[in-house]
Amino acid sequence: MKELNELIFKDELRYTEDHEWVTVSGNTLKVGISDYAQDQLGDIVFVELPEVGATFEKGEEFGTLESVKAVSELYLPIGGEIVAVNEDLGDSPELINQDPYKNWIIEIKPADKGELKELMTVDAYQDMLKG
Amino acid sequence: MRWVIKVKIAGEKMDNPKKTVLHGWHEEQGANMALFGNYDMPLWYKTGAKAEHLAVITAAGIFDTSHMAAVSVRGAGARSLLQLCLSKDLNTCIGKEKLPLNDGRCVYGVFLHEDGTVIDDAIVYQLQPEVFMVVVNAGMGGPIAAHLSQYGMGKDVVVRDLTDRVGKMDIQGPLAAQILAKVLRDPQAVFERLAYFSFKGGFGDLHGLTQVALTDGTPVLLSRTGYTGEFGFELFVKIDRLLPLWQMLLAAGQDRGLIACGLAARDSLRAGAVLPLSHQDIGAWPFLHNPWQFALSWNDDHTSFSKVFVGAPALLASNWQSHTLPFAGFDPRKIGAGDGSYVTSTTGERIGTILTCTTDMAIGRVAGEIVSIAGSPDFAAKGLCCGFVLVDRPSKPGEQVVLTDGKRKITVEIRADIRPNRTARSPIGKMLG
Repeated sequence: MKELNELIFKDELRYTEDHEWVTVSGNTLKVGISDYAQDQLGDIVFVELPEVGATFEKGEEFGTLESVKAVSELYLPIGGEIVAVNEDLGDSPELINQDPYKNWIIEIKPADKGELKELMTVDAYQDMLKG
Repeated sequence: MRWVIKVKIAGEKMDNPKKTVLHGWHEEQGANMALFGNYDMPLWYKTGAKAEHLAVITAAGIFDTSHMAAVSVRGAGARSLLQLCLSKDLNTCIGKEKLPLNDGRCVYGVFLHEDGTVIDDAIVYQLQPEVFMVVVNAGMGGPIAAHLSQYGMGKDVVVRDLTDRVGKMDIQGPLAAQILAKVLRDPQAVFERLAYFSFKGGFGDLHGLTQVALTDGTPVLLSRTGYTGEFGFELFVKIDRLLPLWQMLLAAGQDRGLIACGLAARDSLRAGAVLPLSHQDIGAWPFLHNPWQFALSWNDDHTSFSKVFVGAPALLASNWQSHTLPFAGFDPRKIGAGDGSYVTSTTGERIGTILTCTTDMAIGRVAGEIVSIAGSPDFAAKGLCCGFVLVDRPSKPGEQVVLTDGKRKITVEIRADIRPNRTARSPIGKMLG
């Protein structure tokens, strides 16, 4: 298991209490999981993705990540419509372990971009991990 | 992402978990640690559980198994005590010829309560006619020693719990003997006629009639057994010799793809090999209608036992109707075993519980059939979920049931066997190349 100082964080991202990250790209947001999350989960063997076009409320479950030992539910950090899913994860779910920041999971068109403000900065996320 | 993980193999951290003598090594390697049987154990190392699982199929892996417990049973009454308590008949347990257990042989069985429920499973080693070693699961040295002592009262027998006093590790995988040969004195003689479920050597004050030593002179008990379904060995040394042995084997196997493996790989390997985890797949219910009836001393007609043993009358009189069945899915998706998850028929009727559900990463399906990378090295296995269910009715291989956590549903197939091309029984000469 990685120590806190071995984990990779990206300053430009926003983080959630559920160890997801969010980044703005134009009018849409990309969502993935943090290095801490992939390290805790271990080898990811399956990613269950939502249908493009589906809409979810903030906090609603949109998919699951399966590692060798665990099944973890994914929750939408900000409500909106799924405009794209990372199809590469279907064949190669291990991409998330290899680079959890490059390998986003879903792209959403947010219903209310203002919800972004409620997410954590990298400092707040690190403080949460320190407990 | 929320941690809705139901990992039965590893619980929450305790304030004062027990540690094996390799604990410092595991931490230095950055292993992901978790509690198992009150020991803080590695779930996987930085290589990851998938690489560890695959190493055991294609090369070799080593496992810290010193959390497991051993009990010594000695004296003129030792054999008759074990014959009374173990489910397997020591007089007929070896091979198709049904020969008695003898020096240098070991046998798998279970210890039952009088009511036919399971205390633990075990391997019983006969070192000498009056010297036996019983290897049980983590934390079970005390309970099994107490159980044996209770039934041994008045017999000429001394039962001793050796918990935390035995250094044990496993090396498993097709290259296990080739790597082990590098750390053994006179490996050719050691490996000669070392059949599946036989052993040579001894350690501490547990001596057999043969001696096996490492190149540095350390006495070792070398057993052709394991818990992965693959070719390999369990090694026992005095506890202060375990770390040096671990490091010798790592160095010896470095150029052959040997890596250290954690409990996650051990769990997925054993599930694919249809081996039970005690207190999860077998436990506080009668030891009947499961894939491990070979651990009982059934007569050929399967209506009676070849001997009387503790728990036998209850099993024969039992009206237990539930069945423990192996299953495999059609992709890697799992449903966590635990509270809230259950098994239904394909028509939606609730029929039982999930005991084990993990992913065997070495297998996949081709035209519906399970294929392993062991038989097809170029096969890009994505892994299949597999494990055991406890359901209220019999079922034939090929029939389907549904696993669910109340939201997600996964259809799986009841199987007679799971991972093909396993090497556990391969002749040692073939594996030495």
